Amino acid sequence: MRYVLVGGGVASAATAAGLRKRGFDGEVVVIADEAEPPYERPPLSKDFLGGTEVVPARAPSWYADNDVELRLGTRATALDLGGRTVRLTAGDDLGYDALVLATGLRPRRLPGFDGERIHHLRTAADARGLRAELADAQRLVILGAGFIGCEVASSAVALGKQVTIFEPERAPLARALGARIGGVLLDIHRGRGVEIRAGEYIESMTRTAAGLVLTSNLGHTVECDLVLVGVGARPNVELAVAAGIDTGDGILVDEYGRTSAPDVYALGDVAAQVHHGTRVRVEHHDNALRQGRTVAANLTGEAVPHTDAHWFWSDQYDHTLQSVGRARDLDDLVVRGSVEEQRFAAFSLTDGRIDAVIALNRPGDVLAVRRVLHTPHEVTAEALRDESVPLKQLLRTVAEEVS
Amino acid sequence: MSRAMTGRWQQAMELDELWEGEMTGVTVGAEKVLLVNVDGEIRAYRNRCPHQQWELSEGDLDGGEITCARHLWVFDARSGSGVNPDNCRLTDFPCRVTDGVIEVDVT
Repeated sequence: MRYVLVGGGVASAATAAGLRKRGFDGEVVVIADEAEPPYERPPLSKDFLGGTEVVPARAPSWYADNDVELRLGTRATALDLGGRTVRLTAGDDLGYDALVLATGLRPRRLPGFDGERIHHLRTAADARGLRAELADAQRLVILGAGFIGCEVASSAVALGKQVTIFEPERAPLARALGARIGGVLLDIHRGRGVEIRAGEYIESMTRTAAGLVLTSNLGHTVECDLVLVGVGARPNVELAVAAGIDTGDGILVDEYGRTSAPDVYALGDVAAQVHHGTRVRVEHHDNALRQGRTVAANLTGEAVPHTDAHWFWSDQYDHTLQSVGRARDLDDLVVRGSVEEQRFAAFSLTDGRIDAVIALNRPGDVLAVRRVLHTPHEVTAEALRDESVPLKQLLRTVAEEVS
Repeated sequence: MSRAMTGRWQQAMELDELWEGEMTGVTVGAEKVLLVNVDGEIRAYRNRCPHQQWELSEGDLDGGEITCARHLWVFDARSGSGVNPDNCRLTDFPCRVTDGVIEVDVT
């Protein structure tokens, strides 16, 4: 038996670890186009820029110790689903009994924004390049105030850099968090000296001897040494598309991680999975690990649906932003705590049920919500706002009343 | 990473104050210690998540698992070994109960 895992990120590493933990004793081969073994991506926009090392997903000796073959610097270029083989860049075909696609994302690029002084951030190599050039740079312009943009801004400010962010929306992370919480982040970044040009985006760029000159849609120009393009990412679906596997916004999989092709699974950032009845593609680290465990279980004779709540965090300056679940309407949130003091939890409520919480500097609230999410409970907005009852206690009570 | 026992027991807290299924952070000597009562068994760990040194006492204990509030790393409360991710573990301290008092050796 040979299981082939295509992709060199934590999703593959978690699947490999799950297989061995469950006693799978066949071959496990990981195909990774990057030159280094799977590593943690979250620190790349945070601590890594400040000088920490790349954090491996597993200890370097783990792969040999667990008889997991890593083929680094290798891409899968085609799939033969009938013949059950994967074609590799080296030209050879690798047979499989089961195939796992964890091909991840690549940064979205803006036409004309490429080459020297222009950075994207996805891989450790990208982060090394950015870190090296940041050392000699003073002025960084970031295009896009998403997670990457906001986290790099935070890291660059800590390095003493002058940072400007252009964001077409009215506030940072507006699409993920809504206008109100986005407004809080706007204040946080501005309070740290970041210039946020909300509602403005860069249309063109010229190169000078000293650096770059950018021109915005409003006709403003700004000079800088470096640009980071942080305008989202695209799922790497091409391999699946070419093989005729069903795709949409990502590779389509069911609750068990199965694609439309027999014995072919997909997980991680590239997978658009049915989750509590809704198809969703999640670009978060925790989800990739959890899906890895589920797929490993399903590859070893179990039938385990992936039902874990979707959770993410973002560390910016000394603030911890966390969210669990999926909000129905980001403009209709119930706030517990103080938005002004930048310490609150904002709940999405649908017919008395919490479907998400977004919290700033209240990690305990997120933990408490995670316990009741996707389980029967009924709670009012008034009760959630009332801080005289600890949230953990409140949610325990409302869950018990329903069950 | 179990430490060699040196026999320098220090009183940490009354057993009565740590209910089954509860955990709490205490200071023993110069060390921040997490005391955990898993179904009547007491465990003592360094009160720091191995990920980013966040205090584990701010997280929660549920179903025999400790979850760090910061990035939701999960540990087995009895063994201290990582559950998610599974390639790490908590630093444990020897502990015992003497005359209703939890004692920890942090040396």
